[in-house]
Amino acid sequence: MKALEKLDSHLKTRLPDLNKAKEGHKIIGYSAGGYLPEELVLACDAIPICFIQAGNNAILRDAGAYICRWFDPFWRSQIGYLTSGKDPYYNIVDLIVVPITDNHVRAFSNTLGYYTPEVESFVFGVPHVKDKIALDYYLKGINRLKKKLEDFTGIEITDYRLKQSIKLCNRERELFREISLMRKSDDFAVDSKDFVALNHGSFIADKEIMIDILELFIQEIKDSSPLPKDDPRILFTGSTLVRGDSKVMGIIEDSSGAIVMEEFAEGIRPYWGKVKTDGYLMANLAESYFMDRICPGWFRPGTERLNYLVKLAKEYNTAGLIWYQLMYRESYKVESYFFPGILKKETGLPMLVLESEYDAMETGPMKTRIETFIETIRR
Amino acid sequence: MGNYYDELFKLCGFEDEEIKKERHRIEASFERLGIGPEDMDTADSWVRQNHDVSLEGVRKLLGAWLKELIDLVLAKDEGKKIVYFGFPAIIGPGLMLSASSEEVFVSAPDMVLDHTMGQIFNKLTPILEAGETNGLPQGHALCSLWQAKIGGIAKGMIPVPDLALASSYYCDMGSKADDLVNALYGVPIAYIDGVMDSKWGEYPKYLPERVHYLGAQINQALEKAEKILNIKIATDAWERSQKDSGPFRANLVKLVELMRADPVPISICELELLEALSGSSTGRGIREGIKAMEILLIELEKRVKAGMGVTKKGAPRVMVRLGHTSDPRVTRLIEDVGLAVPLTFILGSWGGVKVKPKGNYNTPGEVIADYEMTGGYYYGTEAQIKFYEKAIELMKLDGFIAQYLYNCRPVATISHAQKKYLEEKTGLPVLALEIDNFDSRAYSAASLRTKVETFAEMLKAKKSTNSQ
Repeated sequence: MKALEKLDSHLKTRLPDLNKAKEGHKIIGYSAGGYLPEELVLACDAIPICFIQAGNNAILRDAGAYICRWFDPFWRSQIGYLTSGKDPYYNIVDLIVVPITDNHVRAFSNTLGYYTPEVESFVFGVPHVKDKIALDYYLKGINRLKKKLEDFTGIEITDYRLKQSIKLCNRERELFREISLMRKSDDFAVDSKDFVALNHGSFIADKEIMIDILELFIQEIKDSSPLPKDDPRILFTGSTLVRGDSKVMGIIEDSSGAIVMEEFAEGIRPYWGKVKTDGYLMANLAESYFMDRICPGWFRPGTERLNYLVKLAKEYNTAGLIWYQLMYRESYKVESYFFPGILKKETGLPMLVLESEYDAMETGPMKTRIETFIETIRR
Repeated sequence: MGNYYDELFKLCGFEDEEIKKERHRIEASFERLGIGPEDMDTADSWVRQNHDVSLEGVRKLLGAWLKELIDLVLAKDEGKKIVYFGFPAIIGPGLMLSASSEEVFVSAPDMVLDHTMGQIFNKLTPILEAGETNGLPQGHALCSLWQAKIGGIAKGMIPVPDLALASSYYCDMGSKADDLVNALYGVPIAYIDGVMDSKWGEYPKYLPERVHYLGAQINQALEKAEKILNIKIATDAWERSQKDSGPFRANLVKLVELMRADPVPISICELELLEALSGSSTGRGIREGIKAMEILLIELEKRVKAGMGVTKKGAPRVMVRLGHTSDPRVTRLIEDVGLAVPLTFILGSWGGVKVKPKGNYNTPGEVIADYEMTGGYYYGTEAQIKFYEKAIELMKLDGFIAQYLYNCRPVATISHAQKKYLEEKTGLPVLALEIDNFDSRAYSAASLRTKVETFAEMLKAKKSTNSQ
C-alpha cells in the first residue's frame, strides 16, 4: 500500500530530518503510556518523539547494569536504550518528559535522574484513580509541563497556538478512529499489523505528514478487497505493544487469527478521545487525556477497562480474547486471573493469557498455545 | 488445668492468668488455624532456635504477636468490623479508625500471619501455597506478603474484611491485589492514592500538591470508611492515635541509643519483631508491644552495662533495611557470619534520623501526608537511599547490607542505584542483596550465605587493617 510505503520512507529519513530540524526546533522525547499531551509540545513549535522501541532481549542485558531483572522488560528496554544510546532517538532529543504511571515507569525515571543527570528531564505524575482531585492533580502536572516547555523553547503557548495543535491532534485521532471502526464490519480490509504499524509510526513521524499518510491509507482501504471472513476475530489486549515487538501478532496471523481490535496501554495511541477546543484548553486536555480515556491496568479499580473490554468483545463480534502481558507487570498479571471469569460470564468468550520477556525461546511454546487457542475458537 | 499449648504460650511471654483468661479464644483460633498438639514441639524448638527467649521483653513481644493473631482470627466472630491495610502502609488512617471505635479491628493480617504462623509455628508454607493457587501464582515476582493474605482468607484462617484500605500511594501490586480480593469476595475498597513523582535530586523538597493530593485521598478514604463501617471518626482521633503510639516511638529513640553500644546488645531478629509490630497493628498488639519494649529496654541497659552482646566486641557494624518477617534464620545469618547490626532503615527513620514536616496543614489527611513526605518511605527512591546516607550521622557503621526485595517493585528500584550512591557518598562498602523478605523458600539463609559471608570477611579484613 502506498500509505505504508510513504510511512516507511518517511521514517527512514526521520533521524536525519530531525537532525536538520534541531537547528530551529527543540526535540522533546517522552516515554510511552499516552499521558503526555503532544499538543503542548507542538504548540511551542517543538517536535514530540515517543520512545517506543523494544522487543529485543539483548538490550535487557544493557539494562542489567542499572536495574534488577524484576521489572517489565519494556521499561528495562528503555533503561537499556537510554544508557547505551542504542536507540538513536534517545540521542537526538533535547528534553525527556516522563509521565509517571506506575513503579516500572518510576524505575526508568530514577535511572534517568540518577545515572544520566546530563540529560535534561521533566517528570509529572499520573494518579491511579479517577476522581475530581486526581483530575486536578493531573491538570497541575501538565500545567507545570506547559511552563517547562515555554521556558525551554522560549515560546509562549498561547490559546491560539494550543487550539491549532489540538485541532491537528484531534484530526490524527479521528483518522485512527475511522480506520479502527471499519473493523466492526464483517467486510473489513484493515490488517491489524498495518494498523499497529501506523500507530507506532505516528509516535515518531511528523504530525502533518502522518495525517496525510492516514488519509491516504483510508482511501486505499476503501478500494481494497476485504480480508478472509473465515478467520476467528480476536480482541488483542494487554499492557504494552510497541515497535519491534511483533512476535505474538505474527504468530496469530500465521495461525489464521484475525485481530480486529488492539487495546494496549503503551504503544497504541489513545485515539477514541476528542479534545474540546472551546473554554479552558488545559482543562480540556486533562479531561480528555486523563478522565475520558479508558484507564490502563494500573488504575484502581480496573473495572472501567475490564468493562470496556467486554464491550469491545461484543461490539467487534469477536470469537476470543488474547491477553498479552509483559513479565513482572503485576497489575496485568493479577487482573489476568479474575478477568477470564468476568469475560466468560458476560460474553461466553474464552481468553488466552500470554506473557513475554522478549525472549526468542518463548516463540515455540507461544506458537503451540496460540494455534491451539485459535483452533478451539474457530467457528 | 493446663493444656497442650500452655508451655508455648508461657515461652511467648503469657502469664498463667492470661492463658486462663484467653483459653477459649486460643482454642477457637487454633481450630481455625489448624493448630493442634502435634504442632507444639515444632513451635517450641522453632521459637527457641530463632529468638533470644532469655529476654523477657522478647518473649512478651512474641506474645504481643500471638495476641494480635487471636484478635485477628476471631474478629468476625466477636462482632468486629474488620479493616485490612497493606504493608508497608501509611498507618495514620488505620490508627484513626482504630481510635474511633472499639467495634473496629484494623490490622495488616499478612504480617500477623508471617510473624506467628511463620516465626512461631513454622507453618506459613501452606498459606503461601494457597495464595499461589488463588490468583497470585509463583514465578511472576508477585508479593509473597499478599500471597499470605490471600492464602489466609482462602483457607478460612482469617476473616474476609469489611473494608480494605488500599496503599495506592506506594505499591501497584497491593492495590491490584485488593481488586482481586474484591473480585473474589466482594470486599469494598477505599483507595488511598498518591503519586511518587518527585524528580531525582529534589529530596527533601516536594511540591505542595503532593501533600494536598495524598491528604485529600486520605480524607476521602476515611469518609468512605465512616460510611461503610457506620462509625464516626472522632475529631481528636489523630491526636489520640498519636498519643497512644507515642510511647512506642519514644522507646525506639531509647533503643537507638542502646544500639550504639559495642557489642550491640540484641539481635536484629528481635528488633524486627518490634519494628514490624508498629506497622502492622493498631490495637492490642501495639499496646502489648509498648509494654514489652519497656521490659526489653531495661534488660538491654543491663546488657550494655555488662558489656554483653550478640556478636563479638569490635565486630564490623552494618546497617540493613529490615529483618525477615517469617523466617528469622535469614536475618540471623548476618550475625552468624560475625557482623553486628545496630541499625535498620525503620529504626533509623522512626527512632533516629529526623526530617521535619514542611507545612501547616489543617485536615488530618494533609497532616499525615506532610509527615509521610518527610519520612522518606513514601516520597520515593531517592529519599529512601538518602536515609541510609544520613544514618552514618546517627551510628558508627562499617558498611551496608542494602537488601532489596525482588518481588516488591517500589523497593526493587533501588537495586543498583543504592549501592553506587552509598559507596560514593559514604566511602563504605555496600552489599546489594536480593531477597524475598516475607518468604524464605526461594531466598533462604543457605542460598544467601555465600554472598553475606564473603562480604563479612571483607569487612573484617578491612577493619583489622584499619585498626593496625
